[in-house]
Amino acid sequence: MSRVRAWIDDTLWGAETAGRLFIVHVGLAVLIGARVALGSYRQLADTPDALVEPVAMLRWVHSMPPVGVFLAIQVVGTVAAIAAVCRWRVRWTFAVAWFAYLVLAGLRGSRGKVLHNDLLLLWVSAPFLLAPVVARWHGLADLRQQVTRRATGWPVRAATAICALIYFYAGYNKLARSGLSWVTGDNMRYVMLWGPRVGSPVWGDLARWVGENIWVARGSAAFILGLELTFPIILFVRRLKGPYALATMFLHIGTWFLLGLDYWAWALTVPLVLIDWPAVALRVAAFSATRRERREVRGGEPAEQLGEGAAVGG
Amino acid sequence: MSDRVPTSARLFVGVLLVLLLVGPCGGVEAWPVTRWRLFSANRQATDTRWLVQSVGADGSASTVSLEELPLGYRHAEWPMADLPRKSEARRQQVCEALAPAVADARPGTRKVALVKDEQELVQRGSDWQVIHRVTAVTTCDVPEGSS
Repeated sequence: MSRVRAWIDDTLWGAETAGRLFIVHVGLAVLIGARVALGSYRQLADTPDALVEPVAMLRWVHSMPPVGVFLAIQVVGTVAAIAAVCRWRVRWTFAVAWFAYLVLAGLRGSRGKVLHNDLLLLWVSAPFLLAPVVARWHGLADLRQQVTRRATGWPVRAATAICALIYFYAGYNKLARSGLSWVTGDNMRYVMLWGPRVGSPVWGDLARWVGENIWVARGSAAFILGLELTFPIILFVRRLKGPYALATMFLHIGTWFLLGLDYWAWALTVPLVLIDWPAVALRVAAFSATRRERREVRGGEPAEQLGEGAAVGG
Repeated sequence: MSDRVPTSARLFVGVLLVLLLVGPCGGVEAWPVTRWRLFSANRQATDTRWLVQSVGADGSASTVSLEELPLGYRHAEWPMADLPRKSEARRQQVCEALAPAVADARPGTRKVALVKDEQELVQRGSDWQVIHRVTAVTTCDVPEGSS
């Protein structure tokens, strides 16, 4: 029992570097700011009241707000996100940006369909509403320190657990609702064949090709279901975070190209949270330094070789 | 900086995890709490769609893609899917809400029809075709002054 407790404790509240917290916090603020600033929200103001079906959170909204309100929320949310990126009153500005994004995404979803496009980013960002503020940009040099602390680790760890749960639920629901035939049947074949008729994919012909090749379609379905159901493994085997992050990017970018569906927020959020970017940067810097050293050593070699050759020739 | 996780953070994350569990475990669909049912239904060769048709002065009907309408109308298929279970008044309400936008997209529209389209995807040679079986749900007139 104590081992289970220790595992839960480490999974949710474990130590990470201040650098990692900083990068994820800033990255999430950038993504939220981009979604708030670039999303097509203003056009929703024209939605007739008869087509408005508010989401639970906005139950009191019976009609879409006027364009001015959408614009005001977008401006406030964007400015707050920029301020959070610039590390100005981070706790408050990040919260304002997150809340603006929540309202805008809720209004976009108030048209009768449960939309998930923005939900992963919203949920994963939520722990950062209480995250400690670790540094300003000019303090980045300190962030190279590889000291891990629980005080700076818990937002990243909690966000990782939320991410893993969301993917697991997505997979579990496929299995519960459709069974294994989601993979073994014609499901993915028809996802691919119907998809381009509904959306506007970039690679509609490739989607059709996948649909017409049943084993490719089933292989794709097995990959998706396997990825989602096994996602929580990253909480046990940490070195799998990188491969899982890359696999989700492949899945969501593929969904965009083949079906024309916008899951960019998912594709960018997962690697941001799962990959330890400061550690990657240090490894790349160390690798570059090693290569440079080798090149410098090799730069001295020709003269020596010539000398050796001359000696041999002589 | 002391190396401990604040109690407020523990409580907050606990609440988030409970909310995340409520959707899938309690069957609650209350956005942003959801069941995470993404692409979970098996797709088949058959599909039911809800379409908007423009009916001209000569009575000829043509389907108007919701993508032709402004963004606020593009998810109208979801409210339309509920209409068979709704009153005639609600059906008229949805139809009349769509009518001005359809008339703008298709000048010459006299009436707007909301239809249920049971589609079947069939392969004919090297091509895939959709067979449509259309049933009218409701119709309404385009309001005066709409183009």
